[in-house]
Amino acid sequence: MTRIVTRIACLITATTPASPTTPAETVEPLPATALLQVALAHSPRVEDAGAGRVYLDATGLTGLFGDEPGLAARLSEAASRAGLAVRVGIADSRIAALAAARSGPGGAIVPPGGDAFFLAAAPLSLLELSRELSPKLSDDMTARLARWGLRTLGDLTALPTAGVFERLGAEGVRLQRLARGEDGRPLVSWRPGPRFEESAEWEWGLETLEPVVASLGELAARLCAQLARRGLAADGFAWTCRLGDGRLHEGALTPAVPMSDGVAVGRLLRLAIEARPPRGVVEGLTLRARPVRPATAQESLTERSRRSPRLLDATLNRLVALVGTAAVGTPALLDSHRPDAVALEDYRPRPDILSRKGKGRAVRGPANVVPADNPVLALRRLRPPAPAAVTLASGRPVALRSARLAGRIVAGVGPWRTSGEWWGRQPWLQDEWDVELADGTLCRIAHDGSTWHLAGIYD
Amino acid sequence: MAFPIESSPPPGWEREGIDGLLGSFPPGRLSEIVGPRSSGASSLLLALVARVTTSGGQVGFVDGMDALDPASADAAGVDLSALLWVKCSGRLRPALSAADLLARCPGFALVVLDLDELGPVPASAHLRLQRAVEGRDCILIVRSARHREGSPAALVVGARRVTPRWTGLRPLTRLAGMRSELAILRSRPSHAFSPAHEGRWTLDWAL
Repeated sequence: MTRIVTRIACLITATTPASPTTPAETVEPLPATALLQVALAHSPRVEDAGAGRVYLDATGLTGLFGDEPGLAARLSEAASRAGLAVRVGIADSRIAALAAARSGPGGAIVPPGGDAFFLAAAPLSLLELSRELSPKLSDDMTARLARWGLRTLGDLTALPTAGVFERLGAEGVRLQRLARGEDGRPLVSWRPGPRFEESAEWEWGLETLEPVVASLGELAARLCAQLARRGLAADGFAWTCRLGDGRLHEGALTPAVPMSDGVAVGRLLRLAIEARPPRGVVEGLTLRARPVRPATAQESLTERSRRSPRLLDATLNRLVALVGTAAVGTPALLDSHRPDAVALEDYRPRPDILSRKGKGRAVRGPANVVPADNPVLALRRLRPPAPAAVTLASGRPVALRSARLAGRIVAGVGPWRTSGEWWGRQPWLQDEWDVELADGTLCRIAHDGSTWHLAGIYD
Repeated sequence: MAFPIESSPPPGWEREGIDGLLGSFPPGRLSEIVGPRSSGASSLLLALVARVTTSGGQVGFVDGMDALDPASADAAGVDLSALLWVKCSGRLRPALSAADLLARCPGFALVVLDLDELGPVPASAHLRLQRAVEGRDCILIVRSARHREGSPAALVVGARRVTPRWTGLRPLTRLAGMRSELAILRSRPSHAFSPAHEGRWTLDWAL
């Protein structure tokens, strides 16, 4: 029987030369994709082994790239052009190719049929038991081989196979074969992930928004069809408009839940781009989607249907189109004593709003406990604070006049001085007074050192 | 659509305290909280928002005048993370549209349209809002300075300032709060309710 000879090349990224006894290669932070692209440029079958290591099928490449030293040199050069320092090893098996790559600064080439001899001096750690076996089995096996005094792969292959089987089972025999370079597993081909991107170009440009929106909808439909064919959804969409004057107008949409419904996505994109339209003639449009695999859940026949995240998302986008991005969100108190120190964060409804448990419930019944035992007097802020003219008598305000309120002050307490951020670029200081006007209005006025203003009204 | 015209107390009216009042706002109907400046109407509104958020509901708060003070809301017990705040910067039409959108969106237990003195509100706006929330498990509250005649509100709660509370002898040292009176100006429940009961609440809001 003729044995089919396969040749495997191993590329590892490395910064320092290593000896064959080095337990593991020194790995740089992963330029994984670049390394894979280098390998793919030379062979159609490439396996991503992680940790800056790539195997490629070198069988039959001599016709294309010359002999194996020539192939190794070519791989090194290609990696160098991609900004990677790699070592290349070529052998009949993965493990021997890895050992060859680690064997010196430039790697090595093991002649066909020479794997067992080449591996005999390699350390047992080359088996990478933690990858080959489960964690517990790996620990047991490592301890047992160490107890037996085995140090190299040659030590392991020298043991009688029957004895290895009796003591270590089938896994032991497989490891022994692996130590000889007998690895029957085929390469697991790596393929670059699909890129979800659609573009449209217009020679004369689009001056109005409507055709841009329509085109965006078409691109969204095509992208969503691609996603749906692969059982995927997108949790983010980004578009780039190339304008006539060379500028780029970019925008993004993040739906509340991953979506692959072209019509719904098109509507959301319409709202999003209408809220912030491109200023200029649009000559090109690109829409990209960030694919994710949507979680699946078993639907129940006994519960009401799920609230629609699509409706919520559409509502949020319509609100943004109505009042602007900066006017919709969840209030968040800032860690500052500055008056009205509030930020507006993106509204992220708690998961239960989209689930069955969080349906909008009527506030009724004993389960709904009211924080009514300590009712709090609310302050209505004036944004921005209204400039005011305040008349003082003996240092106390006695009359107020502003665009919103005017009247004689019949009672008041203050000043309460607050200040902060004197160490920064925007120090602030103000004296606050709580006052009651003759018509009964309770309000807060403040003096910032130069001017008075009406900060809010208690209600 | 026809609404019953008799004015009667809502469910929960017979219960004591603000708890009963807060539990009386009917879902699927438009309600109003009205009162002039410093009447306690906004404090009542925040108490209701706090009640809804602490019981796990989401609240859409359409702020016509950008007047919401999140610090006050936090002090009142509002879970700010459950609040969607829509600031309309004194523009009436976007405020009405935003409230309409939120009332139609599933998932909100309470939608507040805080108009305060913003207006005049078109006569049809309240009716449109009532239609938007009809049949939904959502309370819709319009907070304004005064009750609008012809509004289809199922429940109208009026607030009136009684007196401020100061601490300290002369001179006064601190504003401690305010006493206000709440009264149901109109109730149009669409289902059975308890017998009529002339009731008012006097509440001390603390600062």
